[in-house]
Amino acid sequence: MPEDASSEMSQLIFMRMPPIENKSKMANPFNFDRPSSASSASDSGGSEEHDLEGFNTVASSPPKSPVKVPGCKSPTKAGATKKKSRTTSTSKSSSRAYQSGLRTLYTSGRPPWYDSHGQLSEPFVIGLTGGSASGKTTAARRIIEALDVPWVSLLSMDSFYKVLDESAHEKAMRNEYDFDHPDAFDFNLLISTLKRLKEGKSVEVPIYNFITHNRDKQTKTIYGANVVIFEGILTFVNKELLEMMDMKIFVDTDSDVRLARRLKRDISDRGRDLVGVLKQYNTFVKPSFENYIDQTRTFADIIVPRGGENEVATRLIVLHVHNQLQKRGFKLRSKLASSALNGQPRPDSLYVLETTPQIKGIHTFIRNKDTPRDEFIFYSKRLMRILFEYALSMLPFKPVAVETPQSIDYSGMRLNARKICGVSILRAGETMEQALCEVCKDIRLGKILIQTNSDTGEPELHYLKLPKDIKESHVILMDATVATGAAAMMAIRVLLDHDVPEQNITLTSLLMAESGVHSVAYVYPKVKIVTTAVDKEVNDNFHILPGIGNFGDRYFGTDYS
Amino acid sequence: MDPDILQNAKGHPNGDFNDYGPRFKQLKITDNVRELQTVLRDKGTSRGDFIFYADRLIRLVVEEGLNQLPYRNCEVITPTGQKYDGLRYLRGNCGVSIMRSGEAMEQGLRDCCRSIRIGKILIQSEEDTHEAKVVYAKVPPDIENRKVLLMYPIMSTGNTVSKAVNVLRDHKVKEDNIILLNLFCTPQAAQTIRDRYPKMTVLTSEIHPVAPNHFGQKYFGTE
Repeated sequence: MPEDASSEMSQLIFMRMPPIENKSKMANPFNFDRPSSASSASDSGGSEEHDLEGFNTVASSPPKSPVKVPGCKSPTKAGATKKKSRTTSTSKSSSRAYQSGLRTLYTSGRPPWYDSHGQLSEPFVIGLTGGSASGKTTAARRIIEALDVPWVSLLSMDSFYKVLDESAHEKAMRNEYDFDHPDAFDFNLLISTLKRLKEGKSVEVPIYNFITHNRDKQTKTIYGANVVIFEGILTFVNKELLEMMDMKIFVDTDSDVRLARRLKRDISDRGRDLVGVLKQYNTFVKPSFENYIDQTRTFADIIVPRGGENEVATRLIVLHVHNQLQKRGFKLRSKLASSALNGQPRPDSLYVLETTPQIKGIHTFIRNKDTPRDEFIFYSKRLMRILFEYALSMLPFKPVAVETPQSIDYSGMRLNARKICGVSILRAGETMEQALCEVCKDIRLGKILIQTNSDTGEPELHYLKLPKDIKESHVILMDATVATGAAAMMAIRVLLDHDVPEQNITLTSLLMAESGVHSVAYVYPKVKIVTTAVDKEVNDNFHILPGIGNFGDRYFGTDYS
Repeated sequence: MDPDILQNAKGHPNGDFNDYGPRFKQLKITDNVRELQTVLRDKGTSRGDFIFYADRLIRLVVEEGLNQLPYRNCEVITPTGQKYDGLRYLRGNCGVSIMRSGEAMEQGLRDCCRSIRIGKILIQSEEDTHEAKVVYAKVPPDIENRKVLLMYPIMSTGNTVSKAVNVLRDHKVKEDNIILLNLFCTPQAAQTIRDRYPKMTVLTSEIHPVAPNHFGQKYFGTE
């Protein structure tokens, strides 16, 4: 899978946000790129901004302030005109890396967002509003930073401006279009988007182009947040939106300060002229604040004077959100390992390859600790190929009649599925991609990186890149081994969140432990589980017994010490 | 051709294997295998697809054929320090392909057994009489001590395979040490082989009255 194929893919990268370095900048909100639609957001256009190298934290950053920043710039006015600039610090330090054993993690992942029964916890939605240039964005950033939880998405109302027709577009060019009126926003799209985010689903957020006043062809995928911050000037004017918010914050900043900021931002940052800016302010911005925005403060739970500079308010908000999140947190893996389902009959959704002498012989090679790596790779590849031929036979087929060169009709079978795609759980699952390609011509491949947090023992989601049309596909999910099933469950949850129907998922694996089989089958009974052998036990380190060892380490040769 | 057998073959989409004795084995037929067969039968299949799907079917037949080879039990220690009761294949096997179309199956065998010795027998039909004649044979010198995986994808009369088995016999290979790996077979060929070599093991994916005789030409692109 070539990297530049990202135009077909949605992608997310979880990063800690570069911290704000000093006080003087803090008081200067226009020095920052607006992190609207942050967190797991990324545009689907495949720009180089996806590159991890683009983000660096300053050297002084403590390793634990995991907040994500966008994979691309916000669809704001600033984003449209000065896309490449990034005024936050980007020193070349690598202090953001976590080291554990031989493994280095450069991001912090998302812990489980569902319980051992697969039940979702809703993300906590914070609504944030205030007049234009009141410091909403700064406030949002301060909250994100102080929250210190890795999974925060920032959704900006600016992405939801309506597409303008020719005449409106020309009015806008003359500063005569009212961007501050509720009618300027597409509330239906906004409501459906926030609803899906609340359900934990992935959403496509439009990218609004403030030059053409159209939506870009590309969209931005936002997926996976425990906290959603929804900010904009008119976030409180719609009743349905209000009902979805768990906490409502009104940023109250003196109108003189707001005008001063607006002048500075529009003139020095966006190169507009004083007359035009003042005209727009007097005709639209000011009336809008008086007619709509100011009144919505009655819906607010908290009114924050001075916006992001107000540290006491930020701390109070963060305290409350933390309390709420703790009530929703989940511990999974140990629960799964000691699953009471052990000893139960094997579930119907489990398909184990018949243990022929060949299968047993291959297992003997790859399970033997003294097998050299080239033999280990050779025999595991053979086993994978057999596994995938077997897994393919679980897909739906339909009878067909074909004409043969011998001029007789032949009644046979063809696959009755429009699309198949493979998704590997990194690192070990990636080893199976080649074998899948050998049995499925031109198959599309997605990847999900899930790693165990060494402090909590919980799986965490770090990265994912999936084919755009995955919801219409049958998905062959690959992981070399499944012990507790925690990572597999997380990957299945990700697929479901991307609208893949449960019955279209096949989990394939070389070796599984009984507890993992039961956990996955119990939570996702429609997912087909296909493997070549099932072992009885999992030890305290969540390794399968007798097992195969750490498959990825043995395959890639990263196991020596 | 025995009409009874033909009827049986029609009644069962993949033929009736009971008629050919316990050494006549069929690949386990799944919908997936049926698809492979269908693509190979289809007139409209492109050559690229034909090779891709043929190689998949060959690989399945080879993997299944290897199950007929001898092994012994053995215990190994896994990286977690546990014992695993496994098994180990015994040495002393080889492959023999019947040229030309049997060569298409060599790579499938090579992909499973990296250093296996492979012999070749070239058999051609006389243009006029359609009689099969052995043109060339080169097999490992100690072949009489080995199990032989004989490879030939399409059997319509069984005459070519008969010639090849006779060559192996001339090299003192015991009949029950031969395992024939085959993709498509007619009932007539199946009966011929059963009658002539009752101790030979045969593995195929399908018994069907009409053999896909275009296999070699399409695989090698000499249509």
